[in-house]
Amino acid sequence: MNARPATLSATGIHKSYGSFQVLKGASLTVERGDVVTLIGASGSGKSTFLRCMNLLELPQEGTLVAGRHSFAFGKGQKAPNDAALAPLRRDVGMVFQHFNLFPHMTALRNIMEGPLQVNGMTPAEAAELGRDLLAKVGLADKADAFPAKLSGGQKQRVAIARALAMKPDVMLFDEVTSALDPELVGEVLNVVRNLAVEGMTMILVTHEMAFAADVSHRVGFMNDGVLAEIGPAEEIFRRPQHPRLVSFLERFNRPAG
Amino acid sequence: MYVWDFSALGPYWGLIGQGLGITVLYTVTTVVAGLVVGLVIGIARTAGPRWLSPPLRAFIEIFRCTPLLVQLVWMYYALPVLIGVDMSASMACFITLSLYAGSFYAEIFRGGIEAVDRGQWEAGRAIGMRQGRIFRRIVLPQAIQVMIPSFINQTILQLKNTSLVSVVAVGDLLYQGTVITAASYRPLEVYTVIALVYFVVLFPLTLVADRVEQKMGAHR
Repeated sequence: MNARPATLSATGIHKSYGSFQVLKGASLTVERGDVVTLIGASGSGKSTFLRCMNLLELPQEGTLVAGRHSFAFGKGQKAPNDAALAPLRRDVGMVFQHFNLFPHMTALRNIMEGPLQVNGMTPAEAAELGRDLLAKVGLADKADAFPAKLSGGQKQRVAIARALAMKPDVMLFDEVTSALDPELVGEVLNVVRNLAVEGMTMILVTHEMAFAADVSHRVGFMNDGVLAEIGPAEEIFRRPQHPRLVSFLERFNRPAG
Repeated sequence: MYVWDFSALGPYWGLIGQGLGITVLYTVTTVVAGLVVGLVIGIARTAGPRWLSPPLRAFIEIFRCTPLLVQLVWMYYALPVLIGVDMSASMACFITLSLYAGSFYAEIFRGGIEAVDRGQWEAGRAIGMRQGRIFRRIVLPQAIQVMIPSFINQTILQLKNTSLVSVVAVGDLLYQGTVITAASYRPLEVYTVIALVYFVVLFPLTLVADRVEQKMGAHR
């Protein structure tokens, strides 16, 4: 059998909370090995858009195709149930701003949980995979530590390992450094950078412009609920077209103070 | 001045032991039954269909907002008239104490489950886990930790509350005290001993509770 196609395609995504429209037809297609960063002002809908890509948020309209999974939303479409959503999320991993590690499990058990409970691995296999992944994120010595004993940066690296343990086709990163002390941001970004180098397909929401410029193949600018502009990182940062993107970048380039 | 004479209780120690046995039996069985009732109601109220919540809330409030003594008497004297079925005193006591405990446990369970961060559910979903498994593996273990102190407090109350069954002539510790008093004319000694027995059983339980609480929270 051929390798599964790793593309993820979200088209015409609409999402509102009550009368408040967050997404107004956002679209994005990501090819295998792509690293795409979404930037934009707070409230532009970038995190919501990301959360629609593993359907933690269910859109009211639009389609999502990820590998062999396909979902359509809109009038006359039945909302997918728990059983239909779980397989999608096995293949589309996510790392959260606030880590969301399981506090009652050690770092290693956190990583083993998915392989054991969802993929039906044996405990020995899952433990081996877990230790390999801990080593990969530089935390081989923290296998038996509970999350409460880890720094923010270490927690986030365990969370990345936990997502990787499912061997996802695509990884979603939702502002994964926003809750970290500045001196801990680097260690997490390094792990993400290494994944990019290895060819992992990734979609990131971030406020770290320098990192976005460095690691992304493409950068997308979210504005008012749509993906207003997307292109190679170089283009977006050097020759922004959309007037809102121009002013957005100016704010970042202006020296602090 | 009153002259204490505990030797007058000599012939009755067996009865006191028997009463303690009944008290412990009612506590254990109604705590277990109450936990089942509480867990079912607690889960139904947090994860069940929305229409189910108001009737369950009503059930909980009825048991929480009426005195247990009134519930016992009503269950024993009034309910049989209503449904035309005779109920033994011990059955009426078991049912009432179980439902009473269940309504308190239900609120403890619900509070514990709702105290678990929403992000925990999301993290479970994000690795492809189904709702039921997330609940069992991720949410419930954390909820139980939150619940332990309230749970132990409620269980201590439950043991003390079983003393009310003496009102419908179930032979618990307090009831035997009444019997012994009638035979020995020594109420001061009898009721002092009864109080001490309750204390001796419950005080270690509170110490265990403290230890468990510390241990369960060790990794936080």
